[in-house]
Amino acid sequence: MTIGLTEYLTVAAIIFVIGTFGIFVNRKNVIIIMMCIELLLLAVNINFVAFATHMGDMAGQIFAMFVLTVAAAEAAVGLAILVVYFRNRGDIAVEDINLMKG
Amino acid sequence: MWMTLQPVLGEIILAITASQFMLLTGLSKSKKRPDLIRLMAVVGLLAFAFVGFVTDRNVTETFGGAFINDDFARYVKLIIGLAGAAAIVLSRNYLRSERLDQYEFSVLLVYAVLGMGIMVSSNDLLTLYIGVEMQALALYVLAAFNRDSLRASEAGLKYFVLGALSSGILLYGASLIYGYSGSLRFDGIALALQGDYGPGLVGGMIFLLCGLAFKISAAPFHMWTPDVYEGAPTPVTGFFAGAPKLAAIALIARVLYEPFGDLAEGWTLALMVFAGLSMVVGALGGLMQTNIKRLMAYSSITNMGYALVPLTAGTLAGVAGMLTFMTIYVVTVIGVFACILQMRIRNGIVEQISDLSGLAETNKGLAITLTVMMVSLIGIPPFAGFWGKWFAFGPAIGAGHYFIVVLALVASVVGAFYYLRIIRLMWFAEANEGFVAAPRIERSFSLVSAVLLLAMGILPFITYPGLNLIRDAASSLFG
Amino acid sequence: MSDFLREYLPILVLLFVAGGFSVALLLAAKVLAPSEPDREKLSTYECGFNAFDDSKMKFDVRFYLVAILFIIFDLEVAFLFPWAVSLEYIGVYGWTVVMIFLAELFVGLIYAWKKGALDWE
Repeated sequence: MTIGLTEYLTVAAIIFVIGTFGIFVNRKNVIIIMMCIELLLLAVNINFVAFATHMGDMAGQIFAMFVLTVAAAEAAVGLAILVVYFRNRGDIAVEDINLMKG
Repeated sequence: MWMTLQPVLGEIILAITASQFMLLTGLSKSKKRPDLIRLMAVVGLLAFAFVGFVTDRNVTETFGGAFINDDFARYVKLIIGLAGAAAIVLSRNYLRSERLDQYEFSVLLVYAVLGMGIMVSSNDLLTLYIGVEMQALALYVLAAFNRDSLRASEAGLKYFVLGALSSGILLYGASLIYGYSGSLRFDGIALALQGDYGPGLVGGMIFLLCGLAFKISAAPFHMWTPDVYEGAPTPVTGFFAGAPKLAAIALIARVLYEPFGDLAEGWTLALMVFAGLSMVVGALGGLMQTNIKRLMAYSSITNMGYALVPLTAGTLAGVAGMLTFMTIYVVTVIGVFACILQMRIRNGIVEQISDLSGLAETNKGLAITLTVMMVSLIGIPPFAGFWGKWFAFGPAIGAGHYFIVVLALVASVVGAFYYLRIIRLMWFAEANEGFVAAPRIERSFSLVSAVLLLAMGILPFITYPGLNLIRDAASSLFG
Repeated sequence: MSDFLREYLPILVLLFVAGGFSVALLLAAKVLAPSEPDREKLSTYECGFNAFDDSKMKFDVRFYLVAILFIIFDLEVAFLFPWAVSLEYIGVYGWTVVMIFLAELFVGLIYAWKKGALDWE
């Protein structure tokens, strides 16, 4: 048995599901949500790179590079918004993000 | 070089305006700079909107076919550019009175419009992703722009978390599509669909569609909309309700009709589910709201449901109907938010629906314009809103989708209750303390919007050139 | 043992060697090193003065600012590396495009600098 495309796709799918569940199940800390978002993007990167090597096509690897960069920009914006929120609220527990409801 | 870059000319103008002129001028110490930068932004956005009329219509693709500027993209960019310019002009007085007048607002808004331009012109999954992210990142920051306000930062945080989740889903779909079709290019994907294709391609399309449904706040992915609309600064909310929705739904139309045209029986059902749920959720959710921005959020969920109805038809008339509906909706939204910006008493801004009570006595002009908007949103002839729904639901009937049209009509009737409640409150309720006199910009915007809504409904010679433009735009998706 | 498992045999060996080596070193330190604890030696050490706070304190928000800027400018290298190794294939066009990209990034740097994001105080 060798590690083929299916194994990579399975790992990526598992990581993706872990990330998605992490966002919804996590009740404690917003930073953990940000980590879960990174997990989602990394799962996608595994997919892209696996497909690209499988097909011998560079486009997927280039896409993975772009995903990395955008993920960094997204993390930066997310952290900045989180810092602003923390300054106003003094706390980043997920349960407390409920000022507006309805 | 000039010839090959011609299709991206609008985007290049915006990018240079934002990053070179605006950002660097902002670092100067001059007192006038927010106004100067607003002027630059408006000029840049107008150039972006109209550049499509100047460049060669036959040169459409560039960057090796990853970027396409056909009539469809040109038309959508015209509306988006105008909506962006309107948002910048409308934001001036609000930002000043809330002590938020930092020039970064205009820069971010221009970047968001640039992202939308890339979105509607994308002909490749990579361009699609970059465009979606570019507008989303700018919009997250705009939502949290009032950084001393807990509400605004909470809105920004919620928007960020759910938006990032949605782009993750979109991206996962893109990776599956790439893997199972072997191409990032839209024409390559269409080619792969001609042959044998596995379930992975259909799954990828569904993921991609879910990610995009988030961006147009179609149910069941609408959860962020009310909170973000309520928390964000009012001019930002007004912008959110119009341009980004148009860009995202135009992208949905392009993705479904161009690469996935052969999968029509698959996505028709998905679109119907999104449309039906959005209409029900929006119509029922809006009934109990007391905050007018929250109400407009539910209204926009319903309206995005209506806008998806013509797309289910899968025909040229369907795309044209969606464009007509969205154009009228964007005009209405700009007018409604210009009215909301005028809701200001001596102590500051108010946004409860009850504050509109007895408006007809204290401020007849505002009451009449707001009534026109509400009647148009209900869809009573001769106002443009009626024709928007006419062109939106017609193609779906033509394609035999009676169920979704009946559901849309029921949702219109239920939704009419909350618009009628505002009208009744304004004309027949006890008068409150009146609003302070509104600045001229807001008044003229709401007036122009109201007049346009009436004129588009009854004067055919205004609407015919527009309809021709829309028909050209729609037919470029069926080339 | 199947071929598949045999491929991973070196990794298993490496794991045992690494684990055994670290345990051996720890044990050696325990057995051989002189140990004369007193109160001063066991107390929390913080740069020459008494510790006055719990170690789980909140970070200064300025660290986040540095982190945010670092992430963004760090990632530019992700583009520069493949660009540099393939420069001979992409020619003047590729060179120009990346120069435009760097110029954009430079505008961002000037903005951050002028806004005072790079100053600690």
